[in-house]
Amino acid sequence: MGIFKIFLVLFISFSLEARPISYSGGSTLMAFSDNIKDSLYYHYSPTYKYSIGIEAINNKYFEKDFSYLRFTYLLNRKNTDISQRNLYFQSGINPDQFSENFIGMHGDWETRRWFAGFGYKSVQNNIKDYSDQYIQVGFAPYLGEYGDLHTWVMLKSKKNSLLGGNSTYPVLKFFKGNFLIEFGYNDKTEWDTHIMYRF
Amino acid sequence: MKRELLLFCLAPAFFLAASADDGMHNHDGHLHQKLVDGENLEVDPERYKKFLSGLSDSQVAVVSVKGMVCDFCARGIEKTFVKDKTVKKIDVDLSQGKVLIAYEMDRKIDFEEIKAKIVMNGQNATAMKVLKI
Repeated sequence: MGIFKIFLVLFISFSLEARPISYSGGSTLMAFSDNIKDSLYYHYSPTYKYSIGIEAINNKYFEKDFSYLRFTYLLNRKNTDISQRNLYFQSGINPDQFSENFIGMHGDWETRRWFAGFGYKSVQNNIKDYSDQYIQVGFAPYLGEYGDLHTWVMLKSKKNSLLGGNSTYPVLKFFKGNFLIEFGYNDKTEWDTHIMYRF
Repeated sequence: MKRELLLFCLAPAFFLAASADDGMHNHDGHLHQKLVDGENLEVDPERYKKFLSGLSDSQVAVVSVKGMVCDFCARGIEKTFVKDKTVKKIDVDLSQGKVLIAYEMDRKIDFEEIKAKIVMNGQNATAMKVLKI
């Protein structure tokens, strides 16, 4: 794959993870499940610039259990009075087999009312390499205060090269305090569930 | 490939659009023509009154913060400041982009220190006004 194509793919394509880095000293525990994998991911952020973590994965497609040591770095952030925009680099490596790894990009832009995000992950493993990408947009039907239950109505479109084709479906996200839950469903990819606890 | 090209074109637009917010913004129906400065700190009176309840012999730093868009941002800021034993109370007003910090009266309030703490959390403090109560 040429450099231009790598650049192109990194900037046009899309991974899941709302806020892949916490505030300085913060920890995050995430559970995620879709038609490809179930995963449990813990990360710690020494600063707001990066996080390190470990992810335990059950890959349903390859019927394989493994783990990643993960590193996420905030490449760029733009704060305005009403918005925040982020661009992250993500990577992971299987400590048992270094040839199994991934790199990716994640971007989001958010106000208290609107959200747009994208992610891309290029995965190498010993069975078959693949890519995973998504784009997501959404809005908050009401604006809650700090500490209230917040609700987001979203639309997500994702594509995994193992499965081919795009899948677009509605997603609902709720969060309150340190806890977030997000789920979506369509008849092709079935349930996407993402639970996050930050502490 | 057509789809990839289209997305490639849209990705920069996504970030440019996000950057274009500076200079003009609105919160729930009222429009600001300029960024909030130290002489124009907007605080919800009801919220401020509630914040002051139970406080005495204190000084309140009202800090304008950029990039505070969700509870996770607010939680991080709150956790950062409550570690300071001279902080009596803190409140984060997401709708106004304000952080209210009540300090003990004899504590010297340094905006640079506050800015550094906010930056550590990933946001930017742009202005501060200290009110004695």
